[in-house]
Order: sequence, then structure tokens, then C-alpha cells
Amino acid sequence: MRNYSTIFFLGTTLFLWLTGCKDEKIDFSAQVKPILNKRCISCHGGVKRNADFSLLFRHEALDTTESGKLAIIPGDPNHSEMIRRVNLKDPEERMPYKEEPLSNEEIRILTQWIKEGAEWGDHWAYQKPQPVVVPTTELNHDWPQNEIDYFILKKLEEEGLGPSKAAEKSTQIRRVYMDVIGLPPTPQQALSFLNDNRPQAYEKVVDELLNSEHFGEKWASWWLDMARYSDTKGYEKDEGRTIWRYRDWVIKAFNNDMPFDQFTIEQLAGDLLPNPTDDQMIATAFHRNTMNNDEGGTDDEEFRVAALIDRVNTTYEVWQSTTLGCVQCHTHPYDPFVHEEYYKSMAFFNNTRDEDVPGEHPTLRMYKEPDQKKLDAIRSWVAETAGPERATEVNTFLKTLEPKHHPHDFDQFNKGALIDNKWLGIQSGGSARIKQINLEKKSVLLMEYWSSFEGGSFEIRIDKLDGEIIGRGKLLKTNKIVMYPIEPRPGKHDLYFIFRNPTISPDPAVCNVEWLAFLEDLPEKNTPEYGLFKKAFLDLINTKVENTPIMIENTKDQFRITNVFERGNWMVKGERVDPEVPESLNPFPADQPRNRLGFANWLVSPENPLTARAVVNRVWEQLFGVGIVETLEDFGTQGASPTHQDLLDWLALHFMDEYKWSMKRLVKEIVMSATYRQDSRISDELKERDPTNRLLARGPRIRLTAEQVRDQALAVSGLLSKKMYGKGVMPYQPAGVWNSVYSGEYWKESEGEDKYRRSVYTYIKRTSLYPAMMMFDASTREVCVSRRIRTNTPLQALVTLNDSSLVVAAKNFATLMMKKGQSPRDQISEGYKMLLIRDLPPKKLEVLYKLYQTALQDFNEDEDAVFKLTAEKTKTAQLAALTVVANAMLNLDEVLTKE
Amino acid sequence: MIFDDIRLEALKNISRRHFLRESAAGLGAVALGSFLSSCGNGGEAVATLPGVIDPTLPRPPHFPGRAKRVIYLHMAGAPSQLELFDFKPELKKLDNQLCPTSLLEGKRFAFIRGVPRMLGPQANFKQHGESGALVSENLPHFAKIADEVSFLKGVYTDQFNHAPAQLFVHSGSPRLGRPSIGSWITYGLGTENQNLPGFVVLTSGGKTPDAGKSVWGSGFLPSVYQGVQCRSEGEPVLFLNDPDGIKRDLKKKTIDAINEINKQHFDEFNDPETLTRIAQYEMAFRMQVSVPEVMNINTEPEYIHQLYGTTPGKASFANNCLLARKLVEQGVRFVQLFDWGWDGHGTSANESVDYGIKNKCQQIDRPMTALLLDLKQRGLLDETLVVWGGEFGRTPMLENREGKTMPFKGRDHHVEAFTMWMAGGGIKKGTTWGETDEIGYYPINGKVSLHDVQATILNQVGFDHEKLTYQFQGRPFRLTDVSGKVIREIIA
Repeated sequence: MRNYSTIFFLGTTLFLWLTGCKDEKIDFSAQVKPILNKRCISCHGGVKRNADFSLLFRHEALDTTESGKLAIIPGDPNHSEMIRRVNLKDPEERMPYKEEPLSNEEIRILTQWIKEGAEWGDHWAYQKPQPVVVPTTELNHDWPQNEIDYFILKKLEEEGLGPSKAAEKSTQIRRVYMDVIGLPPTPQQALSFLNDNRPQAYEKVVDELLNSEHFGEKWASWWLDMARYSDTKGYEKDEGRTIWRYRDWVIKAFNNDMPFDQFTIEQLAGDLLPNPTDDQMIATAFHRNTMNNDEGGTDDEEFRVAALIDRVNTTYEVWQSTTLGCVQCHTHPYDPFVHEEYYKSMAFFNNTRDEDVPGEHPTLRMYKEPDQKKLDAIRSWVAETAGPERATEVNTFLKTLEPKHHPHDFDQFNKGALIDNKWLGIQSGGSARIKQINLEKKSVLLMEYWSSFEGGSFEIRIDKLDGEIIGRGKLLKTNKIVMYPIEPRPGKHDLYFIFRNPTISPDPAVCNVEWLAFLEDLPEKNTPEYGLFKKAFLDLINTKVENTPIMIENTKDQFRITNVFERGNWMVKGERVDPEVPESLNPFPADQPRNRLGFANWLVSPENPLTARAVVNRVWEQLFGVGIVETLEDFGTQGASPTHQDLLDWLALHFMDEYKWSMKRLVKEIVMSATYRQDSRISDELKERDPTNRLLARGPRIRLTAEQVRDQALAVSGLLSKKMYGKGVMPYQPAGVWNSVYSGEYWKESEGEDKYRRSVYTYIKRTSLYPAMMMFDASTREVCVSRRIRTNTPLQALVTLNDSSLVVAAKNFATLMMKKGQSPRDQISEGYKMLLIRDLPPKKLEVLYKLYQTALQDFNEDEDAVFKLTAEKTKTAQLAALTVVANAMLNLDEVLTKE
Repeated sequence: MIFDDIRLEALKNISRRHFLRESAAGLGAVALGSFLSSCGNGGEAVATLPGVIDPTLPRPPHFPGRAKRVIYLHMAGAPSQLELFDFKPELKKLDNQLCPTSLLEGKRFAFIRGVPRMLGPQANFKQHGESGALVSENLPHFAKIADEVSFLKGVYTDQFNHAPAQLFVHSGSPRLGRPSIGSWITYGLGTENQNLPGFVVLTSGGKTPDAGKSVWGSGFLPSVYQGVQCRSEGEPVLFLNDPDGIKRDLKKKTIDAINEINKQHFDEFNDPETLTRIAQYEMAFRMQVSVPEVMNINTEPEYIHQLYGTTPGKASFANNCLLARKLVEQGVRFVQLFDWGWDGHGTSANESVDYGIKNKCQQIDRPMTALLLDLKQRGLLDETLVVWGGEFGRTPMLENREGKTMPFKGRDHHVEAFTMWMAGGGIKKGTTWGETDEIGYYPINGKVSLHDVQATILNQVGFDHEKLTYQFQGRPFRLTDVSGKVIREIIA
């Protein structure tokens, strides 16, 4: 690898430049840690500890090694084994073992560092951001618009560079519209800004945009990638899932500017808040966006655990920009997280009721108005007669049918089995056991089952197969939830369910049980009210309602113990662990419960070093195309270093302390900066010195996202529907794209305006993403995606050139253009202005006009082609020709780019 | 073309950007991830790093590979090795006897419950060729070329459900979100023919695989490396056809106009990304010509149709085999075929190991034989690796779903042992590696994992599977996760 050392050398140079190279004391994080990570830690770190020597933590590094020698003696490099070994010539003894030797410079840094005391600078990201003084600058005093600009300018001046001038107003308004609401301005909106010469004109636009309902739609697309929101469950069957209320919750939360700390708490633990509202329950669907495996024969526990692991990884990635996934199998190879800490974090999440069942329980049952009234009546009656605690229990059951048991809790099948691993199916005379049911005060069994036969029955025997009978009942030819009386007993017991139906042949199951629940009965038995309310209760739970998967915590009886998984294998359980946060981060708040709610509060505590930084960095990336830390997902020592750490910290602190976690104020601060409003033309000097624009000496120039490409085309052509919320819609998609196995589901093109809704409402199927969006790097929502890697491919060109929905948009756009101008030249110029706000330069006009003429000639000679393209008989060749031009315009680089 | 000078300019930009981007790599500041060291392993960069501007340009692998391209034939649903390649006379004797409980303890099956009965082979076997390979009567054509292939009889997996098992075969992980083999290989090697996608997928049997399009997804790799599904019906590639009413020539002029304006715009804004877009629009136009050409099998001579048993216009495995040959001939790097319908549980005649499997074998026998012969006669077999397999095997026991007797003879999913074969691309001819016990339950030697198979495929195209990595979520990922060993025993 000849190039490698060159690259590394240059890397170091650039690194020094970024961290500010001074001839001072060695900086552990900037100079030493990169060497250790690159050259040492793969054998002496979190994964391997060869010779019992690890460089992950200072106390480990200073410890005696296997040979009895000390690798590092602070202040004494000459006697430090590590320094001796890296200096040797014999490749058998020299470190790194059998690798290229360290460079002289690397050895010098390590030696000097030990001489200075081998101090272990902590990695910046795990230290709380400290108050930052806004820098002063020497030049360009009239350029800064707000504090952000001083940070940017300071660095530019250090580099001997200056900022770019502000972009033209036409560019500014399109950029800020695209960034804040994801749509281009209408001609009227654009015009009123262009004609407004007051100094506050731009701010006025920004405020309007922040108040627009489209704000939430734009930022929801961003958040839903992290939430891995999808309208299907994933895996083999990948059937539909009704969880769009969560998507709508996100849109509304952004539109209402819900503070980010509250936004966090409600999504991670809304169900644990006192008297949670339906909205707060729906917010918890954030972590129900994990996949659910319905494939025949799958083990529910395996996939429950898979979802659980995904929740831990996603939570740390989204809020902490930390790759805790590494720690699932072993101690983190580079960052200060040990193996057990993964499972301690997992313990916070391990006690939710969901268990990978096809019904996606627990779900929030959305009752219609009259039924909701019935529910309220039952709840207040129970509150009056049996107290608020019982009322909450009854309410929870009516809203969620929890706590319940699923068939996978059964074992010891006799003449029966779990059908398709999902339903309990026992033949006549057969039985199955369910273990350790708490029967204290439980006088009612609720069971959802279906059966094709009359004449069935069951009995429940306690403690053994021939134990005492504590309940029995008839099984009907039905499919519903039925209530049976049972005898309460103190303590927990194994129960044996025996099924019988003498009238059927031995083969089929007597019935199929979907779930069951052991409950306390309603109060005031033997009163007329009891009868009425019991009937209302049964009616309600048997009402077909819309269900949204949500989080609910296990009851005490269902509590799950969390164990370490040895080497990450969920089948090999190690020591038991309790909920705790990693030691390298802020301590768990003393006044918080050790559950998801406490965990969420820990994340948004002002003591947490990462949350605010992670969020402001993600918002920055949305606006500039690259984060202050490029690796949005990883602030660890293997991630990128911040280009402007002082700015990152300033923004993070400001976000918490000044804006009180307001997303809108954060977005406003950034888009109001002079940095954001710069021209995006690239000078030859900048192309050479800062090709990826990390110093921000110019404005962002970024390809539009998948959603923006489509939404822009619909908006300018006047097709875009303003309708918000609701079930996912199915716009045009070529035939034969969905060919899923075992699923009767198919892509049914939406009707009317639903064909032209904003892309955030497009139905997302994990195993078959909407193809036109997939080509533009939309996420398949299988796992949390922090940043979409932007590509530039011929398949994208094929979408924007040929996709029928974009051709329809072009035709409509052409129709609008025709209304705007008399001559074809005028029409083309008007169209360009509608798209890009600015005037069409004459040279570009000539190219488009030439295309128009060529097309017109073609269409004049071929009426049939006119009809095919415009789908209308009365239309003229002019419209067809203009459609071709409109299609070309929608494909221009400047149109597909935010510049 | 006015674009030649633009391309030169673009190349200049590529190298300059490479240089600068990679110098930032020490900070992890990479747009496309990097080839850093993996967990516990000192990794190395491949010789040329994929560029931001054209990530599909051909590039050399770690070492010269024996194969330049790969055709992967996946029998989705998992065919029974016991009716095709793994002959077990002893199992015949045990037919209909209760399965010893020692084989069931601690095992998890998808559908078998209680104690099932053993099921003898549902086909007759004979030895074939000089190698004496055992091939069942279900594959009479293939039997004649058994000397061309290496059988792996001791492959195992740990996934007993279709979707996770298929993902495991193709992405090295049972969960969604990892890149497939084809994505890894095009990421590593780029594409030879810039007018065609580097990674093409063809499906037959009426359905896409259980795990959906994720089995050819690019996971966390840039989407440019995902498999492009070519279709026998409708547009051969989505959005390839011009809109109704727009003729080729007008489309050409449209693209010329777009590119001309983009060039003007580049002169003003100086963004290299604009140049890339110009190049991509040109390529899109060329693809519109070359993809329908390569996907059209009508122009093939009659003897070729007879060899493969093809009927133009159908989405059949036969047509797909012929297309696979045409695609690799045109320089496509990785062609993946999925044939759906091999899930022989015994729930219906079609899904059984006594009837349905014979039909499925008929559908693949001639075409896959023809594919090897045709590649050979064109001198392409030596540099084309062909891989055949399912996602797991089938049990030596008769399936008794929910403890019941099934209407037809079927076998449940079996993870402990199944058969795959490889041919061409530097693989030994006429070899069998691995052997199962006398009932085909466990491998008794030559046990290989799917990660071993993947490591071998990567090895044949010139990659050290431990070093072909991509940085994602803070760590370098690779196809073979943390294991995998090249199966040297079948390499020529």
C-alpha cells in the first residue's frame, strides 16, 4: 500500500490544521489517541487484550502487563516497555507486531506524551460542552449577521480566506424555502420577497416559513429516517402496519414546535407519564417502528430481542451519536464503553409488552366518539366504586387489551401445538400448560379465540394436569373475546388448559387461541350496574377499532430479567444486569425512576454531553449538507472531528439554555446567518483548498432529496395536494413492482388528489420501497439511518426523464407556462422563473427554444404522438413541444439542486 | 462530442477530490465510508478507492482474481439436497420409522412438532462422469456435466426461516440492512460496461424472494451499488422506456439540451457535481439503448434456444439463464437469479418432495446445464464463477406440521447440512467437498458456513474478505461479519 502512508501523512497534516497545531504540550485526543486507534488498539483494546495490555482506559494502560513489565510509566519513557518495543528493529519483537513500524514522528509523539505524564485526555464528545466566548474577528466586520458567523469567519481568517458575498435574492428565497418547508416558493411568494427591499424582508419570509404547516412535513422526513418509520412490518411477509398516526404526531410536534426535550421524553416514554394522553401514547410508536416477523415458524422471542437491540442501538445513535452497537458483542474497540454497559442500557428497554406477535400488541385502540363515551362512563364508575388505581387498570385494558398473554407462553403440548408458531391449537382431549400465572384476585379470564365448530369446551386445572379445576367454559363457533369466571388463588400457579369437543374428528384443533388475560372482575358484583357495565366492557373490547402499535410497560408479574448476552448471542445468557447508563457519560439523575422515563430524562439532562450537540449537528447537516461533525452517527474517536467545535458547543448550549430546546428557533438562527445566505459559486481557489466546503467560505450547493425532487415537480406544476395527514398514499408506480410472497397486499393507485400528496405521505413498504424515491437515496427504513449518502446515477436521470408521474407534472407545468406567456420564448422564460425565481439567461433560453422548435416540428408531423404525450385530443402540438421543454427543465442540474 | 473535454475536466476533479477527500480520511471525514481496519483486524485499503464522482469505474481488486464476474443461481424456498445431490441409502431403510429423539433435542424447527418419522429419498441416484458424482434422476441433463462442478455437501446455516436465511446467504447477516454480495463486489470492482448496470437481478417462479428486494439491496453502501432488477415483462429496467409520444431522436435532443445548459451552468458555478450529472445523463441515454438490446433474446440462434429450452417473452428460469450469459458477456459484474417455488413442505403437490420438486427440477435442469456449456463454449466459464444453492436444506424427517400428517411428502427446513455447487472461475472440476452422516443430518467432514462460501466467492474475484470493508455506524463492516474462511479444497 504505497499510497497509504502518504494518505496518513496528509491526514495528520490536515488534522493538525483542524485542531490548531501549536508547539505545546502533546494533546492526547488530537495526537496520541489517533495513533493508538490506528496502530495499537486492535490488539490491545476492547476486543483483544494481547499480553494483558489494553490502551482503552488509562488505568488499564498503566497496569502491569502479562510479562510483569509496565508498558507505560508516566514521566519515564526510557523505562516504558511500549517505547522500547516500538523502537526495536527485529520484526518479531517490534510493535506493532508484524506490521509497518511506527513513523519517527509517531514515536516522538508517544515518547513526549509519556514524558509529560501520559495524561489521558478525555474525548471531547464525552465532556459536557463548556460555555464558549463568541470569537472576535479582524476583517469583514460588516459581514456577520449573528454569532454563528463569527465562528465561521474566525476560522476562515485563520486560513487566509474570506466569506462569499450573499447569494442573489432569488437564490436565497428558493434555498430557504426548500430547506425550511421542502417546497419552492410560489411565484407570488417569490415576487413579494423580491420586491421587498426592507432589511427585515428575509426574516419575514423565515418567520412565515416557520409558521407554515409544511414545516412539519419537511422535518418529519428527516426524523422518520431515524425513527425507521414504515407502513409495513418488514421481513418475509412485510405486511401492512397501521402506524401512520405516529408519522402525523411527528409532523404536528414539529409544527407546534414541541421542545426537543419533551419530544424526546414523549417518544421514549410517553406511556410512563402521569395520565398519558392518546397523543403521548402514540408518540411511543417511535420504538414500535422496529420490524415484526410474521413468517411461519419464527421464534417470537428471537425477533422480540432483535427489536429490543434495534431500540438500544437506535436510541444511542439518534440521541447520543454513539455507536453502542459495537458493545453488543464485546467491549467497544475504541470508545470507553464496556460490554456489560450495553445490557445495562438494554435493561431500560427490556420490559415493554411487545413480543413480536402478528397482531403487533400492544396497540392503542382508537374508539369512535360514542364508544369513547361508554369507556369514560365505565372508568368513572370504577373510580367511584373501586378507586382510581382500578380505574386506571380498567382504562388501560380497554385502550390496549393489556396485560395479556400470548400463545407462545404455553408449553407441554399434548395433542396440539402452536399453529404456525402463532396460535394455540389443541385437539380434543389435548392440553397445554402456561406457567406461573398470578391468580391473586383474578376472577376473570378473557380469551380471544376462533373456532369453526360448535360443541367445544375447555377447563383449567391448577398446578398439575390432573389438578383441581379453577375454571371452565364453552367454546362457540365464533371469533371474538369471551369472558369466563375463574377462582382466584393466592400466589403464582402453573395452569393446564384442557380442550374438548366430542363432536369433531380427532384431527382439527378445538379452537385457535389468539391471546388470553387474567383479570380482576369489575367491582360491585351483584348490582344491576355491574351487569350493564360488564356488557359495555365486553362490547367495547370486541369492537373493531383502528390500532396503533405503542409501548406499554410490563406489569410486575411479567417483569423480565435482563442478562448479558455472551458475545452478543441472545441464546447464551450471562450475568444479570440492572438498568444503568454508561459510566463515561453523565450519571443517572438521582431523582429519576430506573425505567424508560428516567432514561429519557437522563438524555435531555443539561448534564448530558451529547444530546444537544447531536441534534444541532443533525439540523446543521440538513441545512448545509454536511454536519459540523461529518459523521452524524458517531461522535466517538473513530468518527470525524468537528470542524468548528466551538460553534457546535455554542449552538448546543444555546439550544438548551436560550432556545429552551425550540427546533424552530434553532433553524431560524442558522438560516438567518450570513454563512447560510452566501453565494454557492465555487471559486477556483476554494475548489482547490476546500473542495467539500467544510470551512463554509461559500453557501451550500446540494442535490435535492428524494422527497424534494418529487414535491418540487408537483408544486411547480400545480398538482400538489395540500391535504395533510392520514394513511399512506399510493401514487403512480410502474406495474409489477410488488410481488411479495404470501401477502395478498398490492399497490392500489390512489385516486384524486391522493396521487399528488407530499412525498412524506407516500406508503413505505420496507422490502419494496417506492422506486422513484429509492433511486434518489431515500431510506428503506429497515434500520435507523442518520444520513443519506447522496449519489448521482444514470438511474436517477431515467426517473426524472421518464417516470410517468413526472411526465404528467411536465405536461401540467407546460400548461401553466402557456397561460403565462404569449410567444414560446416568453412561455419558456416564465417557466424557468417559476422554477428558479431568477431570469432565464439568453444563452440558456436559446438552447431550450431550439429544443422547442425541434419538438414542435416532430409533433406537427405526428398527431398521434401529441395525443400519446398529452393524453388529450384537443391539445395542440405546441403543448406537446412545451411539455418536452418542461421535462428538460425539470431535469436541469440547477433545478435538481438547492444552490 | 462536446462532452469529451468535460469528461477530462471531470477526471481531473475526481483525482483532485480523491486526494483531498482521502487526506481527510484520517479524520473519518469520508463521503463514501472508508476501508479502515476492522474489529480486531488490521485492514488495508483496496488499490483504488471508489470515487464520489464515478463510483462505478472499474478498479483492480486486492489480488488478481480467477473470476471476473459471478452468476449466482438461488433456488428460493430451499431445494431438498436429499432429492438432488446428497444420496442416503441408509435413510431409505429408515423410511417411516420414528425419528430418534437424540436428533430432536435442543433443536428448533420451523414446523416439525413432536416426534416425526424419517423420510427416505424420493428419487433414484446414479454416479456420473469421471468424478462419479451422485446426481439424482431429477436432474438428467445436469448429471452429464457433473464433472464441471465442485459440490459442497456440508454447508450449514443458523437461520431456519426463509427471509432471514436468504438475507444471510446474500448479505452475511440475517437482519435487513446489510449490503448483498453483488453490492460488495461492484463496490470493490466497479463495472466493466458503463452502459449497463454492474449488478443485475433476474427473478422467475412468479414471485420475488421471501426477503424481498433486500437480498439485492446495497444496505449501508451507496445506493449506486444496489442490484438493478431487469424484467422480462414490462420495461426491462424501471423507467427505461421513453414516455409515450417521445421518439428516440427527440429524447437524444432533450438530453443534449439538458447537458448543454448544465455545461453553461457549470461554467458559472464550477461545481464538479454538475459535470457528473452531465456524464450520468449521457450514460442514461446509452443504457436506454443497451439494456433492451441485451435483454432481447429473440436474436439468439435457434440452437441456443434449444440448448436452454427458452421461450422468448416469458419470465422463466430458462430465459434468465440465457440472459445471465448475455449479461456477463457484456461485462456485467454480478448476475443474480432467483427462482421461486422450492419450499417442499408437503402442504400441496407443488410444494412437495415427491411431486413438485420434479417439476421444479425440470424447469432448471436444462437451462442451468446449458448455461455452463454455453459459457464454456464461449471461453467464458474460466473467468465466470457460477454458484448454485438455496438458503438452507431440508430435514431427513417427514414434515408433520403441528403434529399432523401432511397431504404430500415434504421435508421441513434444515439448517445443519445442505448442498451447494460452484463451477468455473478458478473452481476445481469434478470435486466433492464435505460429507454428511448416513442420514444426511449433520456434516461429518468438510463442514462449511455460508460465511466460508462468501469468503470463497470474494476470493475468486480477488478480494480478501477480511479486508473488503466499509465504515458504517462507527465500525468497519464486511460481508463475512467476523468469520469466514476461504474453502481452499475446491479451488483449482
